[in-house]
Amino acid sequence: MKRTLWLGAILLATAQPALASNTLIAAQAPVAVAKSPMTVTPDREWNKMGARPGRNSESWTIDGDGLNEVTFYGGIEPDRTLFREVNKHSTPLPRFSSTMLLTDIPALFEASYRIALNTPVMKIDTVAPTTFLGHKAVQFAFTYSRVDEEVRRRGDAVAAIIDGKLFMITFDAPDVFYYQRDMAAYRAIVARAVIAR
Amino acid sequence: MRGGGWRQVAAVVALLTSQAAQAEPIPTLPPYSGAYQPQGVDERGLWMLVDENERSFRDSTVVINDAPLKAYIQQIMCRMVGAARCQTVRLYIVRDTSFNASMAPNGMMIVHTGLLLRARDEGELAAVLGHEFAHFELRHTLLGFQQGRKAGDIAAWAGVAGAAAWTYGGRNAYDTVRMARSVQNAAIGSTYAHTRNQERQADLLSMAYLRASAYDPHCFPDVWDRLLDKADATAHGRRQRSKRYDRAGFSDNHPTELERTTTLRRLAMAMNKPGEDGKARYDMALAGWRAQWIDDEIKRNDFEGTDYILRQIAGPDWTPDLLFARAELYRTRGHPHDLAAAVGFYRDVVARDPTHAEAYRGLGLAQLRSHDAAGAEALRTYLTMKPAAEDAAMISMLIQ
Amino acid sequence: MLLRYLAFAVSFALLMMGAQGAWAQEKSGTKPGFVLPRGSAKILLIRPTISVGAQSTGGMFEPNADWTAQARDNIAAALALAQTRLGNQVIVAEEPVGPAAQAMADYRALFSVVADSVMRYQFFPGNRLPSKKRKGVFDWTMGPGGAEIARETGADYALFLSNQDQYGSTGRKILQVFAAFAYVSVKSGEHTGMAGLIDLKTGDLVWLNADMAMGGDVRTPQGAKKRVAQLLEDFPGSTPPATPAAE
Repeated sequence: MKRTLWLGAILLATAQPALASNTLIAAQAPVAVAKSPMTVTPDREWNKMGARPGRNSESWTIDGDGLNEVTFYGGIEPDRTLFREVNKHSTPLPRFSSTMLLTDIPALFEASYRIALNTPVMKIDTVAPTTFLGHKAVQFAFTYSRVDEEVRRRGDAVAAIIDGKLFMITFDAPDVFYYQRDMAAYRAIVARAVIAR
Repeated sequence: MRGGGWRQVAAVVALLTSQAAQAEPIPTLPPYSGAYQPQGVDERGLWMLVDENERSFRDSTVVINDAPLKAYIQQIMCRMVGAARCQTVRLYIVRDTSFNASMAPNGMMIVHTGLLLRARDEGELAAVLGHEFAHFELRHTLLGFQQGRKAGDIAAWAGVAGAAAWTYGGRNAYDTVRMARSVQNAAIGSTYAHTRNQERQADLLSMAYLRASAYDPHCFPDVWDRLLDKADATAHGRRQRSKRYDRAGFSDNHPTELERTTTLRRLAMAMNKPGEDGKARYDMALAGWRAQWIDDEIKRNDFEGTDYILRQIAGPDWTPDLLFARAELYRTRGHPHDLAAAVGFYRDVVARDPTHAEAYRGLGLAQLRSHDAAGAEALRTYLTMKPAAEDAAMISMLIQ
Repeated sequence: MLLRYLAFAVSFALLMMGAQGAWAQEKSGTKPGFVLPRGSAKILLIRPTISVGAQSTGGMFEPNADWTAQARDNIAAALALAQTRLGNQVIVAEEPVGPAAQAMADYRALFSVVADSVMRYQFFPGNRLPSKKRKGVFDWTMGPGGAEIARETGADYALFLSNQDQYGSTGRKILQVFAAFAYVSVKSGEHTGMAGLIDLKTGDLVWLNADMAMGGDVRTPQGAKKRVAQLLEDFPGSTPPATPAAE
């Protein structure tokens, strides 16, 4: 779970007319995500959150982003952050770089979460090679807690660098019950993710 | 005893405020009257909330419960403020990269690992902890709470909607950290910690503790000096203006830090008292912890600030571990010249410690990122040294 | 820092939108088809989160130990009475120690997140999730592992309660009047409560009630009774039958 929860609340509360509401994602239908050439086909129904974490990302949930959240990063360009800055002046987020190796992506992700959520208790647990979108990719698992709650959260991510841009899908859920239950739905999304040429 | 407690406090405060303008303002330390019990509605409310939070705090994920480390820090506390005072303190060490320590009115003290990392020795740590204890002894927390409420009323009438945020599930442990560190009182929407005057009083009382202790009084201005230098480094790295010489702003509640260092330096010199800094003991006690805290620090994306801290810890003597940390820092930022520098640092590490497998890993990754094929060689060396490494499969894939 | 900024902004904006409106209304939901077996259900009462204090003119929350202690006692008594009247047996959960404490903490934490999600994405009309918006849907769960916290109690259900009271000071009440002239809505005092019932066999949330404008002064026994009555409004099976039951 990320700032989308708060971002959604604040954008909603200030009633900006441009904010899209949450929409339904149908099962078994291919859909392009994160305003990018990446297309996924979920095996069950999801909800797409109206508020986006950043320019080239979007989030889906089943029961609410505090309980299960899949986030798509569609082609993060060099020198861009993963999501919106929290406080650019005093706590700037790290940026993706064109020279980065796949092994640098978990570190980029971890530092981004640590800073954005202001939590020191974030850990990358495992890192492994894999294939994603037809390219060499890195897959990693992580655990963390948010500052304002004691719920332990677990997550998984898969990332590839294609034509110098970062493509990634992440999954976030409380360690108690939800992570186990919804991993399969996340894996199904990743398995059928493709990138248009 | 209760009434006596307040009389003691009033005596100290009177001393501090009256002597502020005189040449030798450090008060004589009054005997400590013992644990204080909350009086009145406000205090009991504050106590209750803090006690309630302390319960959940003990089990929080961010609290470090290592007994030897806690005992060591508690010992420093006792060497600083004396046995009578330090018994009131219940110490908690919290994993957080900020330079901070705070004390709640019921005796709960929170020390951040960021402070433990940045303090160079026992004396510097003692100075900061003593300062927090001084706020506690002077009951500043409670007075600050009442002061804050009046300020809030004024703000509301001026048309600023000071709505209190409300929470769903109730309180939790990390709230305590923020509560304690930002304001030391229980109001959710509250603003500032202590007034500038209170900070001055606390500084003076801490100098009194320092004088009565075995520590070198210069530790206090030293730690503030380096805090300023580090802030300069951070600002420089982010191409921002340094706040060093700014006058204390409206929302800035510490006396301008430069003014503070100057005053404390003058007091320390006037005291003319020798003392220890406990650096050797400190280095030994923290040896097993620094790697984790430096790692937390590197992940803050504050390159120059972290580099400054590493240089301070190392001094003239870069151990392989500190060199390795520096190399990781440079490689993480990853600009072309950073990668070149990192390669140099990693090479230094393996020259001095050929068994340092992670240095070969870092070397290989830095070289690969610079499109230097020699990186594959270094990574192969790493895999030979650590075939069962967590990321062995990933590294293998890189060199295929 | 970010959270405080955002929390402030959200509260301010909510104020501007007006305290009246769907958000301030009580909302409750029940799992379709759920019926609480009258007289035979054993309900485990998880230690409620209760916080009582005053709200200064500036909106600052001033905790009050005496009030909170009173509220705890009053609410506990009122709860036991209300449940017994319905013929349910209420067991007060003990504070576990050791590894069981972790499980209790985990589930209390998870309940907050689940209830938060229900309020945000099912009750709050502006931000509903389409899959939760459908008629008759109330599909929320904590997972079957929750039975762990009720082991050896023999309980069938667990009742989670959260209650926060901020009594508006005189200053705030006056501000409310002046602000009304300027068409700014300022709430004097906030009285928020939520109550949720979990079926321990499945971990499903069978009932949730959330109210941001509760009545009853919880510092008094009478007020606490009223508050509990409101918290448990629409509690499954709470409409007492018209049979002449002994009081």
